[in-house]
Amino acid sequence: MPWCIFPADKGQHMIRISDFTFQYDSGRTPALQNINMTIADGDFVGIIGNSGAGKSTLTYAMNGVIPGFYRGDYYGSVEVNGMDTVETRPEIIASHVGSVFQDIDAQMVASVVEDEILFGLENFGIPHDEIEGRVTEALAACGIEDLRMRHIDTLSGGQRQKVAVASIVALRPRMIVLDEPTGELDPQSSEQIFALLSDINRVYGTTIVIVEQKIALLCAYARKLAVLDHGHLAFFGPVREVLANGRAMESLGIHVPRIVSLHQALSERGWYQGTAPVNMDEAERMAREAMQ
Amino acid sequence: MKSLLVYIPGDTVIHRLNPCTKILLPLLLCIACFLTDAWWFLLGVLVLDIGIGFLAGIPGHTLKLLRGLGKLALFLLVMQVLFIQSGRVLATLPLGILITDHGLQVAVMGVLRLIDITLPLALMIAVTQMSDLANALVYHAHMPYKYAFAITSAIRFIPVFTGDMQMIMEAQTARGVAFDTKSFWKKLRLMIPLCVPLLISSVKKIESAAIAVELRGFSLRTRRSAYRRTSFDGRDLTAILAGLVLIALSVVF
Repeated sequence: MPWCIFPADKGQHMIRISDFTFQYDSGRTPALQNINMTIADGDFVGIIGNSGAGKSTLTYAMNGVIPGFYRGDYYGSVEVNGMDTVETRPEIIASHVGSVFQDIDAQMVASVVEDEILFGLENFGIPHDEIEGRVTEALAACGIEDLRMRHIDTLSGGQRQKVAVASIVALRPRMIVLDEPTGELDPQSSEQIFALLSDINRVYGTTIVIVEQKIALLCAYARKLAVLDHGHLAFFGPVREVLANGRAMESLGIHVPRIVSLHQALSERGWYQGTAPVNMDEAERMAREAMQ
Repeated sequence: MKSLLVYIPGDTVIHRLNPCTKILLPLLLCIACFLTDAWWFLLGVLVLDIGIGFLAGIPGHTLKLLRGLGKLALFLLVMQVLFIQSGRVLATLPLGILITDHGLQVAVMGVLRLIDITLPLALMIAVTQMSDLANALVYHAHMPYKYAFAITSAIRFIPVFTGDMQMIMEAQTARGVAFDTKSFWKKLRLMIPLCVPLLISSVKKIESAAIAVELRGFSLRTRRSAYRRTSFDGRDLTAILAGLVLIALSVVF
């Protein structure tokens, strides 16, 4: 039996966005303009950009919130696992794409962790004899088995975030979209959330799309990076390739990780010819080579 | 500021009652309190309410609720005594304000009714998981899930909004607003303008919550979706019967 409810068709792109432009009814300018991107099944994509760049709007387009819940001028097309989001009801899209929102408190519906995880399973009509296994598996995947009967109000920010992810993992979606999940977390908890998402991506092959401000952390885990600027997709591709445009990204007001700045400085002086490092191990290797 | 309207886990006889019984019982007590005119009956119901709190293993919480309600009750008692001027005069205050036997009687009865009705409802929230309540209302009472969810969400969001209000107040305190004033009216005057940011943040939160639940299949839910089923047993029947007997007694007295 496949792990997810609706596995992606072989060779199918999980997300295909073509010439997508969207302007909210309340907006004066389009939140996103002429976006073209495809995300393969099983990919791990990070989205970065300044405030108002259209990051959240892009995630809304991917999980069906646009056009399902926000009205506006919609051009182009967004396909999720082969389904056009205009023609498909949001709850159907939701059975393929799990969403973790920025405001975790607003997302929580129950007072106890177990009930929070049960909510989605009950709604999607998962057979009752399968539910217990799903709850146990989701709690184990997120490393929070001990929190099962805990009251949500008594949990820390990091624990709540894990509960929110577990409640989505239990639904076994083909893809999980997260909007700044570590916004209110300390560095250690943020690292834990990323490690958890990386495990889910690796073990279950779940596609992960994550909006994040902590660029260094994102670069260490994501395989692809999308950079948004005033509603335009400025860069999109493998992390190393995008980071190679460090100067251009800085001109957009995006602070690239320090190891990338170091790489640029070394490359410009001709002391290092390799690609940009994405983690500390690679940065150390780069420094050693440059010193030799 | 910790909200008093929270669920307190437990495994007492009160916790194990069917959630429908737990919401029906305060309703029956409410009817009984409105039908009676005997102060001692209302006092008896108050003792019963406190007894239920102790039986639920939450004596401290019950007394805290009682203390909170007591402050409101005292305020209402004073207001009613001062405003009801009919009846036999017991004392005369400055400015010609009379304290009458009728005023005292109405005030005491009103306050007792207020506590008798509110305390069981607050206790119900303390011993019932909101998701169980919603599921029981849908399954047993055939209530549409969206209404049951709205009721339970309203209760669940109380501590969330309390937290938001606390955060706004702390932000204002950091900017020099003195909320620690002893004057009730001054504090109220300082708090009223904060209702606007609280309202805005609450509306935003509710909008996010609505989208979040829709994306977790809210509209696909049916009457039989709930994983945990609750049933009625002898305890529930006894509790409901006791409530009905109280109504009968309230009619007699």
